[in-house]
Amino acid sequence: MRLFFEIARRSFQRALTYRAATLAGMVTNLFFGVIRASVLIALYGEADSVNGLSLQGAVTYAALSQAIIAYLNIFGWFGLMMNVHSGDVAQDLLKPMSFYRFWLAQDFGRAWANLLLRSLSIMLIYSLFWSLAYPQSLEQWFYMLISLLLSWWLNFSWQFLVNLTAFWVPNARGIGRFAFFLSMALSGLYMPIRLFPEWLQKICYFSPFPHILNSPLEIYLGVVQGQESLVLIAMQAIWIVLLIILIHVILRLGLRRLVILGG
Amino acid sequence: MKGFGINLWRYLKLYGLLLGAQLRSQMSYRSSFFLDLLSTAFITLIEFGTLAVVFERFNNIKGWTLGEVAFLYGLVEISFSLMDMVFSGFDPPFFGQGIRKGSFDLLRLRPLPLILQIFASDFPLRRLGRLALGIGIFALALNLNPIEWTLAKILYLPWVILGMVCFFGGLFIIGAAFTFWTVEGLEALNIFTYGGSFLISYPMHIYPDWLRFSFSYIVPAIFLNYYPALYFLNKEDPFNLPAFAPFLAPWVGLGVLVVALKIWAWGLRHYHSTGS
Repeated sequence: MRLFFEIARRSFQRALTYRAATLAGMVTNLFFGVIRASVLIALYGEADSVNGLSLQGAVTYAALSQAIIAYLNIFGWFGLMMNVHSGDVAQDLLKPMSFYRFWLAQDFGRAWANLLLRSLSIMLIYSLFWSLAYPQSLEQWFYMLISLLLSWWLNFSWQFLVNLTAFWVPNARGIGRFAFFLSMALSGLYMPIRLFPEWLQKICYFSPFPHILNSPLEIYLGVVQGQESLVLIAMQAIWIVLLIILIHVILRLGLRRLVILGG
Repeated sequence: MKGFGINLWRYLKLYGLLLGAQLRSQMSYRSSFFLDLLSTAFITLIEFGTLAVVFERFNNIKGWTLGEVAFLYGLVEISFSLMDMVFSGFDPPFFGQGIRKGSFDLLRLRPLPLILQIFASDFPLRRLGRLALGIGIFALALNLNPIEWTLAKILYLPWVILGMVCFFGGLFIIGAAFTFWTVEGLEALNIFTYGGSFLISYPMHIYPDWLRFSFSYIVPAIFLNYYPALYFLNKEDPFNLPAFAPFLAPWVGLGVLVVALKIWAWGLRHYHSTGS
């Protein structure tokens, strides 16, 4: 565990060094958040609440979903894929640590740097212009934080799984883009899942993706409460376990195929 | 004048040749190409799809129906994907790479017009997927709310698309020109290219005043799509601008492109190689 946090600490520091890029990314998140919120406000029109989501809740949803984009790295991650292509993966495999945990530790540091630096600043700026909703109780804050942590873990595991295709396909970037786009859309980044028609919501919940974004946000907004929050958190945990099992099976098959060329 | 005509013809032929080489190299990985084609189409489909399905609950967005929003959305998708193919050589992240690696200096040594070579340096054919979806969304728009076509409307439509192609192409060129100084691309410019195209995919009257003002009078994007759409759909102008406002689209686009080329020429004069 000490090794895990040591790796995380270093990648945390690394993530803090790119200040100009962070700022530019933040401006972009803020801008898209304003547009998404405007679209939701215009769609709501006279309605105060639609399917359990209040107008204020919808605006907060737009703000929050933009704020945690960088924390989750939801647009996609190709790090492992690139290392398989370049052969650097050989060095990763020599590390005295499980392959998955090594990458997980790195992403843990990156995620927290972004959460503390970017997500909080974005929410602070939005809160100056809009009246946002906040969790009403300590319990709700607590559930939200747990769920947020799990949503990062779930998203990372999914992205790791997608990256494993690089062991089979020489140029897997197209597959990756496709897969990440699917998870992004079904996670509720574009629209709160709750506003989808019932049939589409059902399809979304057959996948792990709503638990990447929609679930922690609904807990934050108090759309789901108490017992229901726990059910969502349990679902997140189950999906993480399933994905990790899948990762280890596929990783074993992939490593058997892997040939590193010296050089 | 005669010499100019011959030169232009020669350059067009050269552009065609260089482009042909580009496309052949893209087609050499056929399965990867088709997957890319599919995924770009799919991305557009899902993005528009999520909007379309929530209309089931809401019916309209501040008075505009799904068909009317699809009109805006489809036109932007068509124009942006066309632009993205033609002007891709200027796409700042791609162009900046050439500056960093020094391959841009190589282009300057060749006895061919620089701009021609940059235009021919990249032409991502996979954007055809997005173009096809854009046409599909536009067709849906025409299906959902039939337009009373007049000769003037039919003649004007291509100019609206041209306006947007020039506008966003101009922004790409400005972004590329910035890399003469910054070397790294200017990420904040994405707000105007990707953010701008996203913004004008929705009716402009849904935005807060400060945002709409900025995109009317600082960056005049409101005239590219929203005002032409008012004209095509016979809708009332909520902001009471003069009656010629819907017809500014090509002028705004060409204006931005001309300004961009001026900035480009100016940047080029001040350019020093990175020396790598």
